[in-house]
Amino acid sequence: MSNIPARDILGKFLVENGDKYENMVVLSADLSLSIKTDIFAQKYPERFFNFGIAEQNMIGASMGFAISNKMPIVCGFSLFTTGRAWEFIRLACHDNLNIKFVTTHAGLVGGDGSTHSALEDLSLMSCLPNLNVLVPGDNVEIEKILEYAFNTPGPFYIRLPRGSLEDIHKKDFTFNPNSIDIIKEGNEINDICMIGVGSGSSIAIQSVSKLEKDLNISIKIINQSVVKPINIKNFISRIKNDKCILVIEEHNTYCGFGSIISRIVSENCPKYIKTLGIENSFGQSGSRIELLDYYGFNYENIKKIILDLIKS
Amino acid sequence: MEISQTEEKELSVDILEIKKEILKMIWLAQSGHPGGSLSCISLIYILYKNIMNIDSNNPNWEDRDIFILSKGHAAPALYAVLSKVGFIKKEDLFTLRKFGSKLQGHPTKNLKLGIEISTGSLGMGFSTSIGCALAAKLDNKDKKIFALLGDGELNEGVIWEAAMAASHYKLDNLIAVIDRNGIQSDGSTEEIMALEPLADKWKAFGWHVIEIDGSNIKDIINGFEKACNTFRKPTVIISYLIKGSDVSFMEHTKKYHGKPPNKEEYEIAITEIDKQIKRIQGDL
Ligand SMILES: Cc1ncc(C[n+]2csc(CCOP(=O)(O)OP(=O)(O)O)c2C)c(N)n1
Repeated sequence: MSNIPARDILGKFLVENGDKYENMVVLSADLSLSIKTDIFAQKYPERFFNFGIAEQNMIGASMGFAISNKMPIVCGFSLFTTGRAWEFIRLACHDNLNIKFVTTHAGLVGGDGSTHSALEDLSLMSCLPNLNVLVPGDNVEIEKILEYAFNTPGPFYIRLPRGSLEDIHKKDFTFNPNSIDIIKEGNEINDICMIGVGSGSSIAIQSVSKLEKDLNISIKIINQSVVKPINIKNFISRIKNDKCILVIEEHNTYCGFGSIISRIVSENCPKYIKTLGIENSFGQSGSRIELLDYYGFNYENIKKIILDLIKS
Repeated sequence: MEISQTEEKELSVDILEIKKEILKMIWLAQSGHPGGSLSCISLIYILYKNIMNIDSNNPNWEDRDIFILSKGHAAPALYAVLSKVGFIKKEDLFTLRKFGSKLQGHPTKNLKLGIEISTGSLGMGFSTSIGCALAAKLDNKDKKIFALLGDGELNEGVIWEAAMAASHYKLDNLIAVIDRNGIQSDGSTEEIMALEPLADKWKAFGWHVIEIDGSNIKDIINGFEKACNTFRKPTVIISYLIKGSDVSFMEHTKKYHGKPPNKEEYEIAITEIDKQIKRIQGDL
């Protein structure tokens, strides 16, 4: 049985915290039913604003709310929010405004296809100064990250998938942006450190025991929900003993998390690093299972990449 | 163009048959947008069948008229019409949204199939149509550009940027058609982001405005003809339609905006449409 979809966790979190964050306003661009912000709208109609299908105006307005001491939560699909209104977001970050952009439908989206996939949003968001970019790895972490973001002033981008995430944490998990979240311990020195972002973490977990057995290697897995800003000192201290790194992310490989980490690793403790992401594509229609398989998020391909890494 | 009563009935039956295909496509895909595909099918079909100059054997023909489905989520409606007029093989329709299919969830540029440009992110297709209309003027070509917009889509700022540009450049070769079904994703257009007085808005932007009953075939044809014979101004046809039309439980509701029918619903829908076809044919 699959988990509760990410958007339901978001909708529930918003409505349950309406009283706690009195200055919170929730903004939508005709997608409140799709993203489940409608339950907040029902309970707090005076603090919910639907701008219609007008992402730029929604985000422009969020800036006005922010300089008027409100905490706008901007909810939309990942692509339309980050893509259509990018320059608005840039200015919001430029002025370090307290706006939380929480989007769903990141990565591969299934039937909707290439025009709706969001495989570029981390590139668009990670280049913006001041912006915190966070990608929860499972449902527990979605709640913890929302809580952290709501309690921390400044702009945040929180990236959620269309569907559900597999559990990778225990219920008592706590989120700390500075600590490195090791979800599978390895040895003192490991042949491979797999670093998952979002759905990438559970993909790593699913293949790890078979990989260790089949290849007779030791593997550690980090769930790296913090895309930006990364605590470089702590990060490097946790990967410095591992021989090679494999990043797994549901994003394109041009300028995604893999690129960010490759730079940090090469500048601080060079070692072989590869990224499993979506190569040179805008995505396409298909079931999630078919698409993940097609783009190489499968056991055989992960094994092949790891063999290449080990050889090098 | 006068059409006979028989022709009118034939078109009505064709439209209902296409609706059955759309429902089957979305049902088999188990995802997609039935409401806004059913609403606008009469407009797209009559455009391709009676109005536009196109040639499915020569999709690159330079002088062809251009259709842009700016409300790209109605892709099943476009695909079903493109199949009816010879661009897409009928059996391919039922690969909609499936892995490896040319028929993506939203239109993806493929001239052989008659798809001029990718759409799905609302608002963009309309700007594209402005560029096509300007280019046709530049080339002194007597071709028409048609863009189909959702009424919710009109919320996007770029729609009004494009509307300004079209009248500024006196694009009388551009015809915008609005599927005024009154419902968008979250609810009624007037509740979510009020559009009325819509005709006045377009008039103020310098457009020739025609309002039609989008379920009346003669009205549609007359509307398009008037639009094609308008000079020095772009024309917008505001077409009053019903979201999910001809399937009782899909009509006038946001419920089936982005939700496929299940098997039982699909079967009821087909039975309802078949009944209507019989009624019209009994009358033929
Ligand atoms: C830029 C953008 N924002 C949001 C969406 C998601 N979306 C798809 S359809 C839709 C509602 C469209 O309403 P309308 O234009 O009235 O279409 P219709 O009722 O004719 O189906 C929305 C919000 C999108 N496709 N593109």
